Order: sequence, then C-alpha cells, then structure tokens
Amino acid sequence: MHLKIRRASKAYAGVPALIDAALDLYGGEVLGLVGENGAGKSTLIKLLAGLEAPDSLEARLNGARVTIPDSAAARRLGLRFIHQELAIVPALTVAENLFLNNPLPRLGGVFVNRAALYTLADEALRRLGIEHIDLRQRAALLSPGDAMLVKIASAFIGADEQQPLIYIMDEPSAALNQAEAELLYAVIERLRARGCALLVVTHRLHELFRIAQRVTVMRDGRVVTTQKITETSAEALIQAMTGANASQLPATEQVKTVPPAERPLLRVRGLRTDALVSASFELRAGEIVGVAGLAGAGRSQLLGALMGIDKRRAGGIELASEALQNPAPADCWARGIAYLPEERRSQGLLLGGRVSHNMTLPHLSRFRRWLAMMDRRAEDRRSQQLSHSVQLRATGIQQRLRELSGGNQQKVMFARAILAKPRLVLLDEPTRGVDVGAKRDIYRLIRELAADGAGILLVSSELDELLALCGRILIMRERRLVDEVPTADLDERALLSLMFAGAA
Amino acid sequence: MPQLPHMPAFLRRYGTLIGFLAIVLFFWTQRPQTFMTLPNWVNITRQMSILGVVAFTMTIVMVTGDFDLSVGAMASLVGIVAGSAFQSGAGVGEAVALALLVGLAGGALNGLLVAGVGISAFVATLGTLTVFRGLALYTSGGASIYGRVIPAEFSSFGRGAIQLGELRIPNLTLLAALVLALVFVILRFTIVGRRLYAIGGNREAARFGGIRIARLRMLSFVISGLGAAVAGLMLFSRLSTAHPTQGEGLMLQAIAAVFLGMTMNEEAQPNVLGTLVGVLILGVLANGLTQMQIDTYIQQILTGLIIILAVTLSSLSQRGLRAPEWLRRLLSERRTT
Repeated sequence: MHLKIRRASKAYAGVPALIDAALDLYGGEVLGLVGENGAGKSTLIKLLAGLEAPDSLEARLNGARVTIPDSAAARRLGLRFIHQELAIVPALTVAENLFLNNPLPRLGGVFVNRAALYTLADEALRRLGIEHIDLRQRAALLSPGDAMLVKIASAFIGADEQQPLIYIMDEPSAALNQAEAELLYAVIERLRARGCALLVVTHRLHELFRIAQRVTVMRDGRVVTTQKITETSAEALIQAMTGANASQLPATEQVKTVPPAERPLLRVRGLRTDALVSASFELRAGEIVGVAGLAGAGRSQLLGALMGIDKRRAGGIELASEALQNPAPADCWARGIAYLPEERRSQGLLLGGRVSHNMTLPHLSRFRRWLAMMDRRAEDRRSQQLSHSVQLRATGIQQRLRELSGGNQQKVMFARAILAKPRLVLLDEPTRGVDVGAKRDIYRLIRELAADGAGILLVSSELDELLALCGRILIMRERRLVDEVPTADLDERALLSLMFAGAA
Repeated sequence: MPQLPHMPAFLRRYGTLIGFLAIVLFFWTQRPQTFMTLPNWVNITRQMSILGVVAFTMTIVMVTGDFDLSVGAMASLVGIVAGSAFQSGAGVGEAVALALLVGLAGGALNGLLVAGVGISAFVATLGTLTVFRGLALYTSGGASIYGRVIPAEFSSFGRGAIQLGELRIPNLTLLAALVLALVFVILRFTIVGRRLYAIGGNREAARFGGIRIARLRMLSFVISGLGAAVAGLMLFSRLSTAHPTQGEGLMLQAIAAVFLGMTMNEEAQPNVLGTLVGVLILGVLANGLTQMQIDTYIQQILTGLIIILAVTLSSLSQRGLRAPEWLRRLLSERRTT
C-alpha cells in the first residue's frame, strides 16, 4: 500500500498555511510528522480528511489518482482519523460515542441493534487493552484522558482485520498519561505489524523515536525534510523544526530552592469538595510546586477547589494569611489568583473574541472610566505590552483567537494571568499541544513569574517538565493529596512509581 | 474540486443591508408617489418604535445566549396594569411607575428562574409568558380598557410629536431612539457590555475567567422586562386602549429582528445596530406591503420567508461552514456547463 501526496497547498484568507507539501505513506510503516504549532501539520491532515478544500492537491493511492472532496470520500479510501480536538458528545454513552463516525448496527433497518452495539464497542476497547471504561456510562463523566482513549478506539470500530487501512493521528497522546500512552503505542505497533500505514503527529520526540520508522519535519507550511528515524537525532529534528540551533532550547536548569519565608503564601488544610477527597499543603511565594498523578487522580479538581469552581465541603484556604471563604472564581481573580484551565479552548478562551479581549477578561474593572465605561485605549496599550512580553505571534491584538495556533492561544492565557501581577498562579497542563518553541517561551514565563514572587502550582502529565521546573512535587492518588517530595532526589522512574503506588 | 465559492467578505457582512435597500428600492418603484416621502418615513419610524424598544432590549438578553419569550405577554400585562390603575383613580405618574415596577418584577422573576434556579431560558420564559398572559386576562376579565378613564395627557403622548423645523418627530420615535442609544452604549462601550458578550461567547470560560455570570444574566432579563413594560405603555398610549393580548405579536418579531441583525456581524453575535436594521426591514415590509394593498396574512408569509432567507444565506457564508454536498455539486455543475 502506498499513499502518495504531492503539491498540497492551502491558504486561509490569502495567508498560506500549507505550501506545496509532499508526503508518502507506506503499509507496515509509521511516519512521524513533527513541527511547531502553525507549521501546517493540522492543515495537511484536514485536507486529507476532506474537511477543508485544498487550493491544490495531488493524491495517488497505489498509483491511482484519487480525490477527497469530503469526509465520506476519505473513509471510502480507507483513511481513518483521530483529530486533535476532542469530538465527544457528553450526553451520549461511551458506546454511542464510539459509533459517532460509524454506521450503527441496525435491527430491521430502522432500529439500533443495542446488543450488537455493545459487543462491537466492547471489542474496540478491548483491542486497545482498555478495561476500566464502562461502555454504558455517559461520556460527560469521562476524564479527558479516558475521553481521548474512547476517541482513539472509535477509529477501530468496524475495522476489518484482513484489510489494512491508513490511520492518521493528530497528537493522539497529548491528553494521555504515561500508562495510557503505552496502551496507544501497543495498538500502533499492532496496526503496523498488520500492514496498516500510519501517520502520527506528535510533539513528544521520545515518543517519535519509539514508534516511528521515518519522520517528516514541517516548518512554516513547508515540508523541510523526511528522514529515516535511525539516521536522525532529537537535536537534529529540533533544529529542523525551529530553524534554530538546538543549544537555545529549554535546558533543564538547576531548580532554585526558595528560602522558607516566615509565613507561607498559601495554606490549604483538609480541603474537600465533591470531586476531591482531601488535600493539605503549603506554598511559599516564589516557589514552583508541581502536582503529579494519574488521570482521574484529582489534580485538576484540586485547582478547581482552590479557584472556587467546585463548592467547598470542608477545609480551609488561606492566601497570605487571609481566609478565603467559599469564593467565586471572580473573587479569586480579584484576590490575585490567576488560573489557566486544562481545556483552554472550552474553559479558557473566547475563541470568537479578539486577543485583547481575551487578555483582559478577568481584569475589566481595572480599565474603568467614568460611568463604568471601558477605557479601550488603556486596554489596547496593555494588551500590546503583554503580547510583547509573552512573545505572541499574531497579526495584532485585534486578531480572533480562533485563528491562532495552540501555542499562541496558550500565550494569550499567560498574558491574561500576568496582567495584574498575580500572587498565586494555578497552571493546568500549560504546555499541552504546544510546540517546542512555544514550550520554551512558556517555561521562561513560569520562571519569571516565580522570580517576581508569585507562588505557582503546576499540574502536568509531562514528568520531565515537573522535574525541570519544580522544587517540590505533590503526589495525588484517587482524589487525595497523598505525598509531597522534593525533586532534588527524584527521577522520572521514581516519580512514576509514586504516582502508581497503591493503585497497582 | 467542487466547492462553494467564498462569498466576498463584503457581501457576507452587508448582504442583509443590501437586501434591505433592495426592498426599499422595490417599494419605491412600486409606489413612487407615496413610499419614498418624508412623511411616510416618519410614519414608518413611529410604526416600528414599539417593536424597536422590545427588540433593542431583547438584544441584550440574546447577547448572553438566552431568550426572553415573555416580552409580548409582559407588554400586554403592563397595559392592563396601567389601565386598571387609571380605573381606580391613579394619576399618570403613579400608573406608569406601577407598570414599570411590574416589568422589573417580571424580568427579575425570569432572571431568577434562569440564572438562579438554572432552568433553560426557553422553558422558563415560556412558562412566565403563560403566567403573564393569564394575569392580564384575569385582571381585565378579558375585556379592553378604554374611554374616559384614560387621562388625556397619557393618550396624547402616543399621538404627539415634537416640531423640529419642518420635521414633526413623533414622541414614540424619540423614545425608541433613546432606548436604542442606551442599549448601544451599554453593549459597545461599558464593562458590563463586554462581560455580557463574554458570557454569550463561552459561558464556562467566562465563569472561570472571573465573570459573575448569574448576576449579569439576571440583569439582562430585568432590562428586557423593563423594555417590554415601556413598549406596553407605548402601545397603550398609542391606541388609547389596553387589551389583554395586544402585545402578543411583539415577541416573535423582536427575536426575528435580532436574528436579522446577527447576520450582519462577522462573528454572528447579536448587535443593536444590526437589530435596528432588522426592525427597519420588518417595519418597511409592513408599510410597503400595506401600501400595495397586500393581504396582511400574505404579509406574514413573506416576512417569515425573508427572515429564513437572510439567516440561511449568512450561515452558508460563515467561515468554517460549508454548503451541503448537494448544493456544492449543483453549483459546480453549473459552473462547468
């Protein structure tokens, strides 16, 4: 099997997103696709999926010329997609979600054959080695990691074991923790062995070296190079992606240990909500503290409890020795707590809104003039400054958020967080789906915030990130904060075993 | 590859406005003597002033992503409340204050149900619509209030006008313009306006981003209730009659006007200037079709079709949304043959 793509081009409103890209997929091989955000990877995939009409595209499947006018055509050609955005319908059950892009098994041509539905769905999950997800459960109750697994599994529904297909995955592991990612790698390997062709977009280079045989690098809408994985290195790939020298990349700097202040900035005692069993810890000004745990361990719920998003059932929170009594998120922002939620697109951003409006959202009362009028000039000025300090790549502060790449959207969230010089910053997966260059900028921003005296609580599934940035790491298991360890005597393996302890 | 050619951004944004001008041009050619005259246009602004007030305040509710279906029933109820007050000997000031208070209370009730209890705006205001209508019918015994009991200075307001040089501007037009200006300033220039748009843009992101959602949704329903009350008083004053169902047509027309206005915004957000054009379209249609002596029932059919057409065209041309396969095929075949 050979899918040959040539001359793939696409411009949005005159701005080229993809320029004359070429790609070859072969049966029995995994091709990795890497590049910074905005390099054109997602655009290329959308063309292959028939979701966007290309300006030009030449596709040949086993030598025969084919066109992909819509997603049904892509399906007929044997292409299966796992897109970056979570397309889960919360009101449907897990099994029904698995069949979203697939014809449902019928009874008498009209009715849904429930029994067959559950059997096939069960098969699909089992094929991925997933056993902990209840098929009859509403998808709304799934954690982001589990939701991603369900989405991945849906690409295998109705897959004929005999006929190999072409699988195209856009950052399939972005929302997964290490254990879940291992499941995914096993599935990818099985598909490859069966003769399928796979295209996997990823930001995790170590993952690339594990699963791919060849790698294609994109930059600024063009394919820069395609190489055998054995003939390249992480440094070479980073250089090809950024066009910069690898030595400029985030070094795992020595973590600064903060001298104990007289009073902690944040003191949490016996905190409990409906989604969090218990948490007690302290955080000092200028300190970066990590939160580690498996998916569903309650890491996001801890931040949600601090931010006043979930109603507090018990316990106390003191910020700079002042008690926070059941605050709303608005009160927390006003007290100097900044928050970057896990799902920046659905929980953080106004995608249809402008860059400046997104930056100032929690701070609008700072731009008050007479009679509660907006001081729009001051707003614009401040947004300009912030764009500069987070090194935002946008056409201007008037641009709509929807048009920015994932990394630049996240930089807008950081601009929002630093606008009012926060005392405490809550970060939930701040580098998810963000390219190498933006990651470097975000690490720099986090360190600068801490250096300016803010306390930072960082939730991340990337263990190297936690180890590189944090002085201490809080360990969560089963919705409890169970342990607290300094990173000085910790490596990834040790951290992982702490996360798993008791669960195994 | 078959694809609907992208409509120029210009047409996407101004399509509805162009349609409006086409309608005006059509009536101009059909009724050259009467349609395009200053007195007729002054007349149109007065005819649409009541709908305008409801639609402008409805825009605020729709900015946050909600609806208020109870406005028509509220306008009727307010007329009956003021009429009953007159019957029991109240003065104009007292009756108007009482009527506005009822509008405020009704709006607060809607806001409480939607933002406090958490019922969907559709269901909650459908419920209060029925309650308000029942109240109006019960209080009035199903009969109209008219005649001597209504103070002359109250009914003269609705017919009155201010002489401005050559021009006689109706009081109702002025009042609607005032409400328009207020809503425009709130939505465009104030912090509250920005927050309302944020709630409509992404409710969860707005909450996580420190916006007090419940309070603002409550406020938007109170404003819409007050708008309905003002419209009800305008209607009562204009007709010198309060009938328990006379405001009923307002709700659908107001929502239609906001929808028409949304087609003129690149992000398809409700905006009050767009709503104004929507109201103008509805007002001009009613005026022109009446002049052409077209049956009012036919008028309704035409108005409905025009609303559907405008919203369809604008959603087809919106970014990211593509025409259905059959339409694209149709268009691409046309181009090749």
